[in-house]
Amino acid sequence: MLAPSIIGFALFLITPIVVVVALSFYEWNFLSAPEFVGLDNYRELAGDERAMQSIGNTFYYVLLNIPIQTVLALLLALGVNSKIKARNAFRVIYVLPWMAMPVALGVIWRWVFDPMNGALNRFLEALGVDGVAWLTDSTWAMPVIASVNVWQYTGYTMLFFLAGLQAIPAQLYEAANVDGASKPYQFFQITLPLLRPAMLFVLITSVIGSFQVFDTIHVMTAGGPDGATSTLNYQIYLESFTQRSAGYASMLAVILFAIIALITLAQVVFFRKRTVYDFS
Amino acid sequence: MNKTRLAALAAVVVAAPLGLAACGGDDDGAVTLRYAFWDDNQRPALEAMIEAFNEEHPDTTVELEQNPWDDYWPGLDTQFAGESAPDVFWNHVSRFPTYADSGVLLPITDRIEEDGLDTSIYPEDLYNSWQFEEEQYGLPKDWDSIALVYRTDMLEAAGIDPATVDDLEWNPADGGTFVEFLQKLTIDANGNNALSPDFDPENVEQYGLAQASATGQTDWWNFAVQNGCELQSEPWGEYTIDAPECVEALQFTADLYNEWGVSVPAEVTNQPNGGEAAEQMVAGNAATVMDGSWMLGFYRDGLEPGTWAVADNPAGPAGSGSVINGLSNAIYAGTDHPDEAWELVKFLGSEDAQRIAAETGSVWPGVSSLNDAFAEYWSGQGVDVSGFQTAAEGTTVGYPLSMSDAAFGTAALDEFNQVWLGQQDARAAAEAVVEIANAQ
Repeated sequence: MLAPSIIGFALFLITPIVVVVALSFYEWNFLSAPEFVGLDNYRELAGDERAMQSIGNTFYYVLLNIPIQTVLALLLALGVNSKIKARNAFRVIYVLPWMAMPVALGVIWRWVFDPMNGALNRFLEALGVDGVAWLTDSTWAMPVIASVNVWQYTGYTMLFFLAGLQAIPAQLYEAANVDGASKPYQFFQITLPLLRPAMLFVLITSVIGSFQVFDTIHVMTAGGPDGATSTLNYQIYLESFTQRSAGYASMLAVILFAIIALITLAQVVFFRKRTVYDFS
Repeated sequence: MNKTRLAALAAVVVAAPLGLAACGGDDDGAVTLRYAFWDDNQRPALEAMIEAFNEEHPDTTVELEQNPWDDYWPGLDTQFAGESAPDVFWNHVSRFPTYADSGVLLPITDRIEEDGLDTSIYPEDLYNSWQFEEEQYGLPKDWDSIALVYRTDMLEAAGIDPATVDDLEWNPADGGTFVEFLQKLTIDANGNNALSPDFDPENVEQYGLAQASATGQTDWWNFAVQNGCELQSEPWGEYTIDAPECVEALQFTADLYNEWGVSVPAEVTNQPNGGEAAEQMVAGNAATVMDGSWMLGFYRDGLEPGTWAVADNPAGPAGSGSVINGLSNAIYAGTDHPDEAWELVKFLGSEDAQRIAAETGSVWPGVSSLNDAFAEYWSGQGVDVSGFQTAAEGTTVGYPLSMSDAAFGTAALDEFNQVWLGQQDARAAAEAVVEIANAQ
């Protein structure tokens, strides 16, 4: 029963990883035979301003993306978990952006943020505010990208919090009410600690996802202006497919893999304490 | 792991998703050729040519594979790596050096000789640009140059006589008659043009010019060539765009945005993700575009007949030329059907095939004698396209030939986008680009 999945795992995951690690020690332009260069690609990294900038950009993006997305998703989950009218409709609406194609959404958002004819600047103009060139201004471009992705993935993240909230036994809140605990006190003493497993899952998956952001950037800015939105993952694409430096790009991929692995490990260690609660 | 095995394994990993659909078997002598190209505007002409090819070669089926420019090259690279590249494909001068050098192109010198092909039907430069180390690697498909495309209705509204457009001049000091012409065509929300004291630069409704180019070919290269800048020391040589005449041209391009304010803002048109220049003109945001001859069909389909025309480029201090360029049809060295692929390339390079492209106004043909057929098609549409020929005969420069085209292209786009935005100095940008491009 397991064999087919192991074949897929080996063929489409293990093999590419091994090849990429091996390629990171070579110089290869796709066309000629790869040339072994030892650690040269790794040594070049420190002096490669654009690659270092892209690592900085990646962390900046993750910091813009994750806290806002996580807090918003939690608030939304609390909202649609309460006894409001049409809460199922809200649940569906919040998840819709996640179901749509990122590239199609990117194209539409590019229109919205167009400096001359875009909906946003037209709207600001009506309010008497001067808009900016959102996607070609190096200050604004990354926050705009991050906000588009927050908008797209918050609903999806909300689903996991919602599942986590519904797994918390109602009698805990009943007991807290009897004891006269306030709502905020209940939230911090009951809800948040019991959401720990959900939080661990959400943070690990969304942090990994946001380190790997690609499509929104490709469609909206192509890494510009002047590299301001080129994340490490985008830099890998540029190095391999516009510069034909497949070996160098593989080295960047190994670096990205190492960064994600370290951060994920740190998250697991941080959350491991007191994650298990038994109510049976 | 030894090199060839690593290459093969890496190739499989890279190309697996692309190559799976590409296996075509051939029974009973029937052969299927894959023919890759990027400009979908030319599809009807290609289909007509293939139909004509099949009259003599009924056993060869040609399948067209189209990918837009940005995806075309990464796609080809990975297909070369995966040994699943199309049998015949459009080649571009910018990619030719690397491809020829790495052996993915099939040399056709011997075949040309064996078949006694008359190659004097092509302009010599155009034919020779597909040579590398004594071998020919393709037959010319077309040629292109840049000319000034403009909206006749906007000129009329601005009171400009179209007869004067062919004789515009620019200079880096005061802009010359070209900038004055563009100022008259830059109109604010109250109907004042950029020469009026009441002009409101914050509320421009129509700009004189739109510039947008992912390579430079349709924006700053024009001014560079017209200012005596040759981009390279020689074909295959170093980039020299930090030379004074080149920096001056870059500064002039930037001035059109920032000093004169007559070009659609760089915030809107910076490539690769900004609006195309031709789109800006069709949408009514700009009155003129210095554009490539391959874009004529786009203007024809987007604008009412009689509302647009083509003029000669403005003349700079060194003349009124542009970069000229051409494409070729090339054969993949690893093709299973080199003989059939050669027959196709030979046909596509023939007068019979290129007449089809010329007579549908698709592109300027590689075969010199057919230029008139192309011009005739367009005069039938009410458009005089001789501006492109004037540009090709002027002080022209060939498309830069270099192994480090990719590094140059990326660095130039990064740096010069910032210059157009007014956030980077032209000289510093040019020096940065040269340092990166010539380091390779």
